[in-house]
Amino acid sequence: MSDQSSDKQMQTPNAVRAYQREWIERTRQRVKQGEPFAICNGDDFEEILNVMDIPVIVINYWHALITTKKMDRYYQNILTERDYPATIFSMGLATTMDNKPEMAPWGGLPKPSIIIGGARQDTEMRILELWAREFGSVFWPIEYAIWHGIEKVPPPNWFERIRDHWDELVDPHKLDYRVQEQEKLIRYLEVSTGRKCSLPKLRQAIELVNEQMDYWRMARDLIAKTSPSPVSLRDQLSMYQVMWHRGTPHGRDFLKAYYEEVKDRVEKGITACPDEKIRLMWVNALGTPPLWGKWAEETYGAVCVTHNYMGIAVDSYARTILNDDPMRTLAAKYMMLFWTTPEWIAAQAKHSNCRAVVTVAGRQTKAAYEKAGIPMVSIPSERDDEATRAAISKFIESNLL
Amino acid sequence: MSAFEELQKHYLERDLAAQQWKKSGGKVAGYLCNNVPEEFLLAAGLFPLRLSGDPQGDTEKIGNYSEQGNVFSREGFVASILHMILQGKYDYLDYLIIPHARDSVHRLYTTLSYRQETEPDLKLPELYYLDNLHTKFYSAGIYNCERWLELKKQLEKWTGQKITDEKLSQAIAVTNENKSLLTKVADLRVADRPRISGFDALQIIGSSMFMHKKEHNKLLREYLSGEGDFPERDGIRLFVEGSPLDNLQLYEIIESCGATVVAEDNCWGNRSFDGPIDETGDPVEAVIDRYNNKAPCARMYPIGERIEYCLQNARAAKVQGAIFHVNRFDEMQAWEVPDEMKVLKENGIPSLYLKDQPYRIDDTEALRARISEFVKGISR
Repeated sequence: MSDQSSDKQMQTPNAVRAYQREWIERTRQRVKQGEPFAICNGDDFEEILNVMDIPVIVINYWHALITTKKMDRYYQNILTERDYPATIFSMGLATTMDNKPEMAPWGGLPKPSIIIGGARQDTEMRILELWAREFGSVFWPIEYAIWHGIEKVPPPNWFERIRDHWDELVDPHKLDYRVQEQEKLIRYLEVSTGRKCSLPKLRQAIELVNEQMDYWRMARDLIAKTSPSPVSLRDQLSMYQVMWHRGTPHGRDFLKAYYEEVKDRVEKGITACPDEKIRLMWVNALGTPPLWGKWAEETYGAVCVTHNYMGIAVDSYARTILNDDPMRTLAAKYMMLFWTTPEWIAAQAKHSNCRAVVTVAGRQTKAAYEKAGIPMVSIPSERDDEATRAAISKFIESNLL
Repeated sequence: MSAFEELQKHYLERDLAAQQWKKSGGKVAGYLCNNVPEEFLLAAGLFPLRLSGDPQGDTEKIGNYSEQGNVFSREGFVASILHMILQGKYDYLDYLIIPHARDSVHRLYTTLSYRQETEPDLKLPELYYLDNLHTKFYSAGIYNCERWLELKKQLEKWTGQKITDEKLSQAIAVTNENKSLLTKVADLRVADRPRISGFDALQIIGSSMFMHKKEHNKLLREYLSGEGDFPERDGIRLFVEGSPLDNLQLYEIIESCGATVVAEDNCWGNRSFDGPIDETGDPVEAVIDRYNNKAPCARMYPIGERIEYCLQNARAAKVQGAIFHVNRFDEMQAWEVPDEMKVLKENGIPSLYLKDQPYRIDDTEALRARISEFVKGISR
């Protein structure tokens, strides 16, 4: 199989994985020496923390590490024993409640100086408030996060407008408030850590994010038009870790290296999935490859060549700085990053020459995808079991062979 | 028909008063949750009607909605309201004000506005989204104030009438009287020998949100004038904490087990009339101040205020036990339960935690058995 073939292993994803390991060790040392350290939710404040040189661990990433280590059930039990809901988002809290660093990834997280969290979802503020309490750290609530920037469902073509015309999509009152919230938090961080923030540095961070996403787009486009796909979905998704270093030169450089490596593979005709006959798009919430991917490839030559997270990276993060105001530009991004509309998923699938989207969803979602112009294979769960295989087989044999 | 029977009738036939208002030429503004300032609605000459779900309704369809591919809401009462709206059960509403409350309520707005745009034949009321924040910081208060003033302006636009200070003061007097009368009901519940059951109280309080407040006050005054004849109740005194209770199923079961619900922390119970509005100053500022500072619900930061509210009310009601009733998928409520149970325990109040409860209680006997065992445990 493609992913196991050593001569096809990509260099950049491995370099990214190694960098992450080195980064956490370096961060641990920095925290030991008394430097500040922050925890925040993804897409809530990272660029600003990076600009202020305050190391930050993004909650989503921490949870992904727990899941990868197959510790999710263990931590969910910790929560259940305490009568708390056992959700994915609360696993970080569980690692701290458990207080057994030797069990946790990376030997556990150092005590943060601050946990920042917003009202993205009903429970987010509460869970992070409890997490900060468990650590004995400061909790800083932020009101508006992604999905709250807009009151109504955004227009179908939002993903074509968001980079240059974000001001049309985000409610100005909310945006004003979010800008104030950012400024207050920056002031607090400046007072409590002595680190500084500056507009030129913020501007530079946004420009670096834009460059990073441009490289990602170029790589994605090469993969989209090359069949068989030159890069496995696993390697594509592993590049997502670079998101946690958005707005930094090394974040940009990793994506540049990735693009160059993809280009090289295309030019040399290296394929990740040589038996590819049918291209599919996999849509799930966690940004992980499908567990049934190997079976589908071996049985039908059906390969998931792209994922909704690739669209999130390419379409959602870049922003043109409007009115020479990087703070507001950044605030708008934190408030309206993306919206998983069928039109957007369909556009991504078509762009990558996929013949269908596979996801766990209901009847109405299926109808909405079909209305948007892409067939959807609805599978009962993410598990690689008989029911999932039967649903995929039925669709492929009836529609694609 | 007695005053109580009249109140009960309005609790059970929740559209009755609004439909009558409509027939007489008035306009009806529906709203969700208890953070929409109904004083503004009353002063604008509208009939304010709080929307509720129906656990006995067409529950197979509840939750079977999606919002452009995103899962809508699995929380029973919100899904039920959405279903009722789409089935035309609220077709007499002229306007619908949906506040920024829990996620599922926000999604109710996005779902309805999407449907409105994509299905022009679908008859829906005019929608209004009332934003407000999850903290009580000074800056949040300023932000909320601006949003409430925008709502006031919108109401004036809808009705073509200015909401004058005079009209608003009159509306405040009406809602304050209602709060004061409902506080008397609450006092009778927490008396050493409770004189009103939780089952009856939930209907009395709930009917205030389905009737014009003036009419409700009239009936409530009449009802309370007979308080001397209210029979005293025996049984274990319980406090109920948990998910929004827009129906009677739970209290009916609890009180069939030899207990009385003497107080609750619930937006359909005592918390709905918490905090009168100051009648001495500027009426607009006074309304806004009350809604900014009213008792917090589970969505609000910080958790400490929620725990304190729960403890204070349970202690004031001299309860012997507490029941935590959290509906399936209501994680917001579930996250505060362990802390609340802990603090009650420290204060000598035992708790029963009913988690993951269905919106429609089908297995009443199993629930009755659990509650009965808990009540017996307290009695021993």
